[in-house]
Amino acid sequence: MRNNSILTLVLSIILSFSIEAQIDVVQNIFSKMDIAPQHTLWDGSQTMLMGYTKLMGAAIDIPGPTLNYIEGDSIELKLRNMSQGASHTIHLHGLDVDQQNDGVPHLSFEVGHNETKSYFFKAPHPGTYLYHCHVTSTLHVQAGMYGLLIVRPSSSNLTWNGGHHFHQEKAWMTSELDTIWHSDSIINQPHDTTTNQVLLPDYNPQYFFINGRSENQLSSQTISASVDENILLRLANIGFYGNKYVFPYQLGAKVISSDGRPFPIEEITDTLVVLPGERYQVLFEPEIEFSDYISVSYFDLNTMQDLNTQNVSIDVQGFLSLPELNISGFEAYPNPVTNVLHLKNVQKEHVQILDASGKHICFIKNTGSVDVSRLQKGVYFLKGKKKTVKFIKQ
Amino acid sequence: MSKIILASILTFIVGFNGMSGTVTKSLYIVSGSLLSVDNNLSPYITFNDNPVFTQENPIINLYIGDTLDLWVYNTDLVDHGFVINDVNVSINIAPGDSVFVQQEFASSGVFIYHDSQEYPKYTYLGLAGLIVVKDHSQPCFYWNLKEHNADWNNQLFNGGTVNWSDYDPKYFTINARSNPNINMDTLARITGSIGDTLHLQIANTGQGVHSIHFHGYHGVIKYSSKNPSHIGREKDTFPIYPMETMTIQIIPDKSGEYPVHDHNLAAVTGNNIYPNGMFSTILITP
Repeated sequence: MRNNSILTLVLSIILSFSIEAQIDVVQNIFSKMDIAPQHTLWDGSQTMLMGYTKLMGAAIDIPGPTLNYIEGDSIELKLRNMSQGASHTIHLHGLDVDQQNDGVPHLSFEVGHNETKSYFFKAPHPGTYLYHCHVTSTLHVQAGMYGLLIVRPSSSNLTWNGGHHFHQEKAWMTSELDTIWHSDSIINQPHDTTTNQVLLPDYNPQYFFINGRSENQLSSQTISASVDENILLRLANIGFYGNKYVFPYQLGAKVISSDGRPFPIEEITDTLVVLPGERYQVLFEPEIEFSDYISVSYFDLNTMQDLNTQNVSIDVQGFLSLPELNISGFEAYPNPVTNVLHLKNVQKEHVQILDASGKHICFIKNTGSVDVSRLQKGVYFLKGKKKTVKFIKQ
Repeated sequence: MSKIILASILTFIVGFNGMSGTVTKSLYIVSGSLLSVDNNLSPYITFNDNPVFTQENPIINLYIGDTLDLWVYNTDLVDHGFVINDVNVSINIAPGDSVFVQQEFASSGVFIYHDSQEYPKYTYLGLAGLIVVKDHSQPCFYWNLKEHNADWNNQLFNGGTVNWSDYDPKYFTINARSNPNINMDTLARITGSIGDTLHLQIANTGQGVHSIHFHGYHGVIKYSSKNPSHIGREKDTFPIYPMETMTIQIIPDKSGEYPVHDHNLAAVTGNNIYPNGMFSTILITP
């Protein structure tokens, strides 16, 4: 058994060196700890955090900086630990990286104070992921050491290549905070390298977050959209409670994927439960104007009782008007169209036709017109390099 | 005196593989003590292969199409019940009495057998195990998830009552063990080689919801008692609700040792000690 572990570790190290040879993205991230309470909560009180920042001098926020990659990227993520005490790691939750780069201290490596070490990995599947510290993970995650990681396909504004088209996206990471755990004696307890056992308090959170904000702070998360606009909402739960979402029915919510993988059968629903560590992608396709809110309830996983509910406003007003689609770049006419759609200003770019769900129909290559007579009646999109144009086949 | 009860036999056989037959088994209801990861003892009752107490309930493995001939003996001093979820078996057993259950299992799945008396009291106190019906072609591992609160065990065992809306467990176990002891259970610890098709049969016989996260690999839901529409979803984190069962398939694409644990990170503790909870590792060889 021990020989097997050593062999697999050696193979993992060899693999990490082979990945290192072809790096597309090199990124720095710092792990730090507040020396005094400075993160402001919705009621004006302040608390101490442990967390990640992109710049050494930046204040810690929760969640930490979002890590953005393109499908297929090879990445070197350098962690510089400036936290004055505990070791830290980065676990790339859901990316299925090899053991050496998995961020679990006793199975890969940890980064001590004032050390810099690199994680080498690939981002093979578009989707929504997490990263978090896996040193005394119950404490360090509660302390604030977490963030979102998003992998996008090579085609912008698609959920994945051949997937759904969207006009705007939002990402919500939920969590809770128990101020007892953020007191100096708990968050700043001595790091004992001789044991990995740590005594923790009971968990009774008082604050419930979407992107580290709650109550009146959530006005910054308001979703504004037009009718017929596709909105992609990325959801991730890094808390210790369950989340129950209720979406207004007018949004036409469709759950399309989870944990970085498309669903075999997509689910149209107005409720969704997201448990700790899970991620979901939800597509909204509002068909009428309305104003309402999306509610998120936080429930105890042992009693199933809701402890708190947070609401985020959504405002759908106006329509994706046809004239504004011809502002710059290529133009399409007539619109609506029956037989032949003419394109102007197509300059060495491949324009593709997508159906209303974002599914690829065909490419139009450097041509001035295209026969659309065989398309079924409905709404379609012409997607160029920098511009998307909606047209109606009648 | 023994009672013989013939449970309803499914007449429509799905997936009969020609290898099925009759499996005869006995279960004994025996009380004892649960030894926690920090060596605390609390009252516990389990089904056992013999009239001798063990902490974990037996796993009953069947082929698709098998008929289970099962004797259940109540060696305890109070009434107990015997139920197999999702099939038509539900029986009361008086102290010192025994019952005979005959049930055919026509399709694959994971079924919980448990004591339904004063539910969830005796199920919580330990009387709940797994029946796994499969084609036996893949290596399988078995997880019976539970949580425990020693004070509650004492109270319930001594005739007291508890308020389930205040449930606050302190220990989190897989097959009655917590980290680091889960890896010592060869039924629980997932091992294999690159390219193997591995099946994890999970039942949550506890009262809390668990969210099982796999490092290193995504798995595919092959069976779900609660959400059959989720079959085919590929995930790295799997919610599993009380009395839900699930089969997860993993085909490892790389070697290594990777954690698999509850991502309700409060459940990775044991009596508030990290990391003495629901935490194991997968070991995959080249």
